[in-house]
Amino acid sequence: MTLTRMSLNALLAVVAAGVILWLTTSNSLLGMFTQAVIYAIFALGVGVLLKQNGLVSFGHALYFGAAGYSVAVILQLGWMPAEWAILVTLVGIGSASFLVGLVIVRVPGIAFGMLTLAIGQMAYLLAVRARGMTGGSDGMSIQWPNTLFGVSQSTLLKPSVLFFVSWVVLVLVTCVLVQVMRTRFGAITEAIRDNEERARFIGIRTAVPRAAVYALSAVVAGVAGLMSALNTGFVSPENLHWSVSAITLLMVVVGGVKSLAGPIIGAIVYFLFKDLLGEHATHSMAIFGAALIAVIVFSPDGLIGAFQRLFKRKKVHP
Amino acid sequence: MLTIQIFNGLVYGALLIVMSSGLALIYGLRRVVNFAHGALYMLGAYIAFAVATVSNFWAALVIAPAAMAVFGVLIDRYGFRLLQDREPLNVMLVTFGLLLILEDLVAYIWGKGNHSLFTPELLNFSVSLFGHDMPAYRIGVLVVGVLVALGLTLWLRYSRMGLFVRAASTDPVTTSMQGVNTDVLSATVVGLGSALAGLAGVVAAPFLSLSPHMSSDVLIDSFVVVVIGGLGSLAGAFVAAILLGLMQALGAVYLPGVSVLLPFIFMIAILIWKPSGLAGSRT
Repeated sequence: MTLTRMSLNALLAVVAAGVILWLTTSNSLLGMFTQAVIYAIFALGVGVLLKQNGLVSFGHALYFGAAGYSVAVILQLGWMPAEWAILVTLVGIGSASFLVGLVIVRVPGIAFGMLTLAIGQMAYLLAVRARGMTGGSDGMSIQWPNTLFGVSQSTLLKPSVLFFVSWVVLVLVTCVLVQVMRTRFGAITEAIRDNEERARFIGIRTAVPRAAVYALSAVVAGVAGLMSALNTGFVSPENLHWSVSAITLLMVVVGGVKSLAGPIIGAIVYFLFKDLLGEHATHSMAIFGAALIAVIVFSPDGLIGAFQRLFKRKKVHP
Repeated sequence: MLTIQIFNGLVYGALLIVMSSGLALIYGLRRVVNFAHGALYMLGAYIAFAVATVSNFWAALVIAPAAMAVFGVLIDRYGFRLLQDREPLNVMLVTFGLLLILEDLVAYIWGKGNHSLFTPELLNFSVSLFGHDMPAYRIGVLVVGVLVALGLTLWLRYSRMGLFVRAASTDPVTTSMQGVNTDVLSATVVGLGSALAGLAGVVAAPFLSLSPHMSSDVLIDSFVVVVIGGLGSLAGAFVAAILLGLMQALGAVYLPGVSVLLPFIFMIAILIWKPSGLAGSRT
């Protein structure tokens, strides 16, 4: 995919958002869409780690929640304007996760997942225990300023504007990730994922690229956390809980891990499904669990894989 | 004070032994990280609650693990065996789906509120030990932990079946070529592991409260134990369980601010020092 073609696709995606806005009149439905788009960004973060590194994270809620907490605390203390707070938060998450990554990517396979789970739960427990400014398990509200990036708060918090902004962020993040994968760095990480020993043999240092992918995926999760903080104006330890990481991982696997579209589809399907069930059943988690098992058993490469198979079968016939 | 804390730590460690040995056995043979183990623990506790209200605790101590054993065999037959050629991540997520279903089921049957189970009459007294009064029930928990550890070690080391389990954990294909029916073996091991989860649930019920979310803490602690011990290693898990129990109990007194973080810090330190865990050389 060339750069022009990608810009064209991105433009088309933005137009699609306009069409969705035009067709959707209900604000609650739009709110649900916004949430779906935010989790799609989050799932992209988890998905890129799995796709480029072959590593499963059970603790990305850490970066999702930490982004919200970081902005909330900076704004509460009045250290800097909100725009700078956002930048500082993302840079902070990037550098912190890179350092964490350097240490933990050495741990193989499933133990890596358990390690991320442990680190995430540590943050959750800290947030629950920490009283005072962050309000412990009650969470804290975020005092966004009256204008953000020159847009007034009343405009920004309109459901339609929030949806559009989240959508544009999702498109931007996707474009950046696609570009990154096409670079030499992308090729190197794939080589390491497929065979770390061989990659080392041909003279590639493996720890740094792995940690860099980990940091990249953490920053993407942080972006999602910031969007969620803007959307709800609130952050609580629930954002950090391991079940959030697990549900996001589910979205990734249900959507399909082999392409970047998978996590996005997975997140959107999850929220549509949840909304659909919300009216009929109180036991949405059980039904979701059953649906998850069905998808994994019958289509190991996710919904994307199922679509592709449908498509291919038609083509193969003479 | 110190004696009581050490005692409480050992009791929690014993519970973790019962819980994590099942997890380690199943991982060793099936290479499955079983999130449903937490659900089986919870089901064991709730079944104990149900049985104890119509009959007594001792009946529950037999019925709940037996029911979980049957359930475990079914999970192996219609879950793990059919999925054994799949990516480990996918199987892990299937067990996570199972956890979601079972948590909802428990909330549906018994409600979302907390329940508690009384300490059985027979053990509702205190024993004076090292100058302190220790509740007899907790001593009983300690005994259960020791019996499970001892029983599993002897079974694996000296029985024919234990030999097969050890062989199949190292190389399932070669083992089945030697004429061992690994399907039956797996069903037995997963059934046994599930029974242990149920047993842990029953044993924990009188001193931890029952809720549909009770599995989370113990499950994560057991994961920590299994990973620290070295995935699939029983001896490693025993040592790690006792260390973790002690660490939590002592931490609560001497380092109250960070006590909840200690297990995780411990795990991170161990894995950085030895990525395959205390006893592990397997990947």
